[in-house]
Amino acid sequence: MAFAVEMIGVSKSFGPVAANRDVSFGVRHGEIHALVGENGAGKTTLMNILFGLMQPDSGEIRIDGKPVVMESPRTSIGLGLGMVHQHFKLVPSLTVAENMFLGMEITKAGLVDRKAQSEKARALSEEFGLRIDPDRRIHELSVGAEQRVEILKVLARGANVVILDEPTAVLTPQESRDLFRIIRRFADTGMTVIFISHHLDEVLEVSDTVTVLRDGAVVGTRPTKELDEDSLVNMMVGRQVNFDRRERKKMSGNTVLELRDVFARDDRGLPALRGIDLEVRAGEIVGIVGVDGNGQTELSEVVSGLRAPSHGEIFLDGKAVEGSDPRHMRAAGLAHVPADRLVRGVNPGADIASNILMGRQHVAPWAKKGLIRWGKVRELARELMQRFDIRAKDEHVAVKTLSGGNMQKVVVAREFSQHMPLLLIDQPTRGVDIGAMEGIHDEIIRRRDAGAAILLISVQIDEILALADRVLVMFNGGISGEVDPANTTEEEIGYLMAGGSRSKEAAA
Amino acid sequence: MEVLETIFNVSLIAAMLRTTTPILLVALGGTFTTKAGIFNIGLEGQMLLGAFFAVLGSLWTQSAWGGVAIGVLAAMCVALTFSFFVVTLRANEVVVGLALNILAGGLTITLTKAIFGTRGSIVSGDIVGLPRLHIPVIEDLGSLGKALGSFTPLIYLAFILVFVVWVIIYRTKLGLYIRVAGEKPAAAEALGIPTGLMQHIASLLCGVLAGLAGAHLSLGYITMFAENMSSGRGFMAVAVLIFSAGDPVKVLFGCLLFGFADALSLRLQTFGLSSYLVLTVPYLVTLGALFLLTYRQRPKIFRETAESLQLIRREKA
Repeated sequence: MAFAVEMIGVSKSFGPVAANRDVSFGVRHGEIHALVGENGAGKTTLMNILFGLMQPDSGEIRIDGKPVVMESPRTSIGLGLGMVHQHFKLVPSLTVAENMFLGMEITKAGLVDRKAQSEKARALSEEFGLRIDPDRRIHELSVGAEQRVEILKVLARGANVVILDEPTAVLTPQESRDLFRIIRRFADTGMTVIFISHHLDEVLEVSDTVTVLRDGAVVGTRPTKELDEDSLVNMMVGRQVNFDRRERKKMSGNTVLELRDVFARDDRGLPALRGIDLEVRAGEIVGIVGVDGNGQTELSEVVSGLRAPSHGEIFLDGKAVEGSDPRHMRAAGLAHVPADRLVRGVNPGADIASNILMGRQHVAPWAKKGLIRWGKVRELARELMQRFDIRAKDEHVAVKTLSGGNMQKVVVAREFSQHMPLLLIDQPTRGVDIGAMEGIHDEIIRRRDAGAAILLISVQIDEILALADRVLVMFNGGISGEVDPANTTEEEIGYLMAGGSRSKEAAA
Repeated sequence: MEVLETIFNVSLIAAMLRTTTPILLVALGGTFTTKAGIFNIGLEGQMLLGAFFAVLGSLWTQSAWGGVAIGVLAAMCVALTFSFFVVTLRANEVVVGLALNILAGGLTITLTKAIFGTRGSIVSGDIVGLPRLHIPVIEDLGSLGKALGSFTPLIYLAFILVFVVWVIIYRTKLGLYIRVAGEKPAAAEALGIPTGLMQHIASLLCGVLAGLAGAHLSLGYITMFAENMSSGRGFMAVAVLIFSAGDPVKVLFGCLLFGFADALSLRLQTFGLSSYLVLTVPYLVTLGALFLLTYRQRPKIFRETAESLQLIRREKA
């Protein structure tokens, strides 16, 4: 039987960079096919070619055995393909049903028949167990629900091959499990799913077949049951990666950061932090974990001075800094790697040197008598590019042209090289490939050993467990418990993340 | 008390509806551009040119409705110029809007001089104004009915259009696409909805209504054209649009507020109060409305601190 989707010898270059090199792989009917590889391995480019968003330089696409040319998404949708992008394209003020039928409305007497749309949406949602109320407006929905609306949009257009680009990147573990249940159901009803990911555990959990890409080329296609985490990592990076707990020497220094009874509100004005007490000492990494949305973002914003606490005190190096703005916090000794590098980490249009300069533009030796000394700045940029392994032609390259991992390394290099007593690191390796991840982890440990106090926030629990000296679990704006990362279990952390308190457990 | 009764009576309501009409018409036009994501500061100029060409058209065709049609066409030409620059050439909407406003102001003066040889205004017995309708059913409803049953047609039309515009925007495909083009163009384009075309259409619809507003000014109660006769109504409409986010029902209430303030100041002038003081009334009403509308958004930090203190007190109790 012919493959549902087959790509043969597909190549695509952007200037001198080859994104896909002679890629061939086939997806069988009714299977869940995972496409895995590090960032920049060419997964998204390949899928954009398949969906008609980009044209390949050479190669052939076959659908059900017939060669086709994907001129635009219109062609591919007509052939039964549907793609759920990483960034959703939904209209916030419209309802779920209106978004689903946008561009193909059901009309009656010249008016949009909202009742009929809503009923059809409900039927489709129930058929696949998507649990979405078609009359809710998008802006009222969680990210996970928005993703299900995107899936419904694809289904409403009659897709029988669904492509999901990094679908779990924005989801909580619970939402991810729901998604896996849904795509399993698709496969059971005979639909074909192509699933892009770089999270190995979920690839192993949900897929039937895995195709691994490395540097734009196919490493291999294997049935999932023949693979395990180690063999998959080997295929992806071509070497073994150490995600075990890092060696460390015992350190104990002065308290650098202290929060006492801190309260804060989120953007909607709802309580987000409820009485946080915490302490970070010099030479110590304190990790924060929790299900997304339990106050980690607000904690990071309060410590960095971006959000004013509504109550409570913050001490940096023993001095009260409550209600400060980011500039004062930095002057008081904070370096900050923000969660979203594109929003707060870099100026994407500027070059690497300017981005490295940011934050020290008024400090000698980078500036003198109010003028910036670009020679010194470039020197520093070159030095940091080498030390942090930032891969770019030179320091004049615009940051937006770098891959996610290299962009993150620019932020890390700038912040870590300030040698501040306090480092706030929010999502150190989000969307970063495994090679760069290791490099960043090494640098974090190096800063710790040099005596910096580090507050580390991450959604990746294994990352926190590998790096932190103490781990605090956040739940509902408070700290639900502390665990010792050397002797804890996933169950214990999961219990605290769900709001259980360890002292209560002990008492019971 | 007696004074209040003489101020607030039936004819004040009638006057309010009259003064509301031009702002309402032009603001309803602006709902389309607002929903399409265009900040249309050029409403004033479209209305002014509409008023001028309505008078010209009335003279040429010797028909009030001919005048209205030509006024509307003129405003649509301005609207199309606006959307050509803003949508097709991606020019800054404020700059283009302001330029067209200035152009409209100068053009009407120049053309008045060139065609009629006068400066300032066009007054002529040959201008055919819009007739007053007499709707018996309403007129029979006592004194209020008398006041409301004999308006010019555009006044009734303006209030009917609130509903029509609402249906177009919220219940038709066109309205849906206009809203999507304004709110999330990426979503529209991914689904093959041409956002540029939607914005052009929205701008043209806006031109139609701005033209009607202009025609109401010059052919409604007075049949003449005067230099700058739109006198800021287009900008008031812009203000209403900002606070209503282009929702036709909220636009109606905003315009009624302006109309009421306008009518009230006209009425107060007959009481021998200083006209300088009286003319501040519409602006005081505007300020008051702005204050009430933004009160909820007063500095977050004050509210949050107060609420957090309550939370702490409650938790301690």
